[in-house]
Amino acid sequence: MSLVGGIEPKAAPQARAAIASVRDLRVHFRSKVGVVHAVDGVSFDIGDGETLGLVGETGCGKSVTARSFLDLVPRPPGIKAGGAIMFRPHQACAACDGAGCAVCFDSGRAPESCHSCGGDGCERCGHTGQHTVDLMSISGSEMQSIRGNRIAMIFQDPGKALNPAMQIRDQVAEVFFQHRTADLLDDAGLFADGSEPGGSLLRRKAGLRTRRAEDVILSLPPFRSRRGRLMKAVETRIADALAETQIPNPRKVMDRYPHELSGGMRQRVMIAQALACDPDLLIADEPTTALDVTVQARILQLIRELQQRHKTSVLYISHDLSLVREVCDRVAVMYAGRIVEAAPTTSIFSDPHHPYTQGLLAAVPAASHERGRLVAIAGNVPELIDPPDACRFTGRCPFETSACLANEPQPAAVNGAHEVACFIHHPLPGADDAPSFDRRVR
Amino acid sequence: MVDVPAGPLPTRVADSALRVRARRGGELLLALLKNPTTVAGLVFIVLLLGMAVFAPLITEPNTPDAYQMPRDWGALAVPPGSPGHPLGTTNVGGDVLYGLVWGARTSLRLSVIVVSLTVFIGVTVGSIAGFKGGKVDEILMRIVDVFLSIPELIFALAIAAVLGPSFRNIILALAVVFWVKYARIMRAQIIHVKENEYVDAARVIGDSSWRIYFKDILPNSITPVVVQATLDMGNIVLVGATLSFIGLSEAGIAEWGVLVSEGQSGISAGRWWASTFPGMMVFLWALGFNLFGDGLRDVLDPKTETSR
Repeated sequence: MSLVGGIEPKAAPQARAAIASVRDLRVHFRSKVGVVHAVDGVSFDIGDGETLGLVGETGCGKSVTARSFLDLVPRPPGIKAGGAIMFRPHQACAACDGAGCAVCFDSGRAPESCHSCGGDGCERCGHTGQHTVDLMSISGSEMQSIRGNRIAMIFQDPGKALNPAMQIRDQVAEVFFQHRTADLLDDAGLFADGSEPGGSLLRRKAGLRTRRAEDVILSLPPFRSRRGRLMKAVETRIADALAETQIPNPRKVMDRYPHELSGGMRQRVMIAQALACDPDLLIADEPTTALDVTVQARILQLIRELQQRHKTSVLYISHDLSLVREVCDRVAVMYAGRIVEAAPTTSIFSDPHHPYTQGLLAAVPAASHERGRLVAIAGNVPELIDPPDACRFTGRCPFETSACLANEPQPAAVNGAHEVACFIHHPLPGADDAPSFDRRVR
Repeated sequence: MVDVPAGPLPTRVADSALRVRARRGGELLLALLKNPTTVAGLVFIVLLLGMAVFAPLITEPNTPDAYQMPRDWGALAVPPGSPGHPLGTTNVGGDVLYGLVWGARTSLRLSVIVVSLTVFIGVTVGSIAGFKGGKVDEILMRIVDVFLSIPELIFALAIAAVLGPSFRNIILALAVVFWVKYARIMRAQIIHVKENEYVDAARVIGDSSWRIYFKDILPNSITPVVVQATLDMGNIVLVGATLSFIGLSEAGIAEWGVLVSEGQSGISAGRWWASTFPGMMVFLWALGFNLFGDGLRDVLDPKTETSR
């Protein structure tokens, strides 16, 4: 049964380095009773053009992981406890000038060569030869230039993610003003001849740096028509962005306030805003949870279509396995601040290796099942305050042994791209009492 | 997909934005006018403000200083209806009508200056505390606590008395006392509003903290401040009149509290007019702004329950 019909999962182009590589990410939170290890040694790659699903139950650290990409974890109480998020921002493809060609896999975007080695491969770029920044350690202004421009994010509840006091036009315009100042002036045909009356004012206007008084000056006759051209250019861009998300009548919707739109429409506006600057990576934090099922399907389809058209990489956060199965190329399963299993979507659903993943899949109610008791994984999620060096799933795992309590399993490949962190598959050399699927303890 | 017509746009950007705002303003006004008590409040306010604005037309301004009450030493404590003094005079020959009309101006001046000063200080302090949080918040709020722990009137009285009797010192004293309320309201609002996802969403598109504050946080948290400011327009005149009554204002200034105090010694002798009329004015002023403020709260902030 397919929720989103007609869209086949596609293979990601493998020729380029991963758009982002998370390495041993640790994000902790200070609390009154101790330090909560919300994310504790997470590593994964998001391939270029790939949709990676990050799955787990509430409180497993998936949202904190995603928010770390854009430095949205509030500090305090959050603590950057270690690790890196290596991000490789793209620029317009030189071969086709952003139109899309064979060189850039039709995305119109191409990696920049590494600033320190010029593409030969060095420590700085992780031997990829591509310009790489560590999102965990860059400055505030660098982060600001990446947000909304190279990495965008859509939120769970579109009703809360739009400013209720602003018209849609102003909210979408914000992105263009922040990141596309030069393009806007270009669109408006300003500065084509090099100079312009009120030039610095117009530049400031297009970069959102005018003050009230300067706006008044710009509304006076000598500058008025030029400001009009600028605003018209913005307006055209807003309308195009909204039309791309299949919003009917974008020029009317622009004048609305968020409360005048339905949930589905609001989420479309959010998506339009997120994709406005053609980002390399889109972080979708449960984007359909707040919507009802029919709207959900349409929004998912829209995200998938736009993702394929723009070749955007997507990090898709969800607790809903059936959605992830429809949308993602690859899935990483998180449990208690760590990744327990990561594999291509088909592989993880047909052949789950980790006992937690197996339990999770068994717990999904299916329409074909008889009515009766729902399946659940026994026990509760462990406290994440100063966790011991043991497998996090102990206490709930049906196969655990003393070996699982003494050491922490590390993710390792089982077949090809399928990775799992479990002693059943990778027993510690020399350790006795290794767990096995043949020995059930609960 | 919907076709977007090419060619010039039907309306200019600024025009359409203005239209939407105007429509929302209109809706707000209509909702306000549905409530009879709010309308009553509005009527009082309009009448009193009209009196303040047209004061020079209603009574001949006194020279050299129009805010100084004229003295008619030939007609001390004459009752209402006397020639030249339609509402009578005080024990020291002050014209009651003149005091009422120009007192409205004094009150307007007092409340507008004090409210704008206190709102500005309060919103700034509250915003810094709420937005920054942590130690800054802790320090600012402890200062606010100190101010809040002293009763308003007593505190204002103490400050005004220390500074010496003058109208300007009353303004200063009231400003010092009243800003803390706004700081508290603003801080609470900001802490609440900054948790909203649209603040994160704004951060995500690359907005600076400064811009997020002015674009997302301030417009969404200012409403209770507006309501409180409206209510304080009334309260401040009440407290100001009290201070003048006690004698902390310049003697002879056209102010309602001064007028009441000039008339009070005559009350036992049956000369009610010099105190009753200005008293009524203070009452109407405070009532008007309170009714209007309550109505404004109902409209702007439908979630707040008001006791009816």
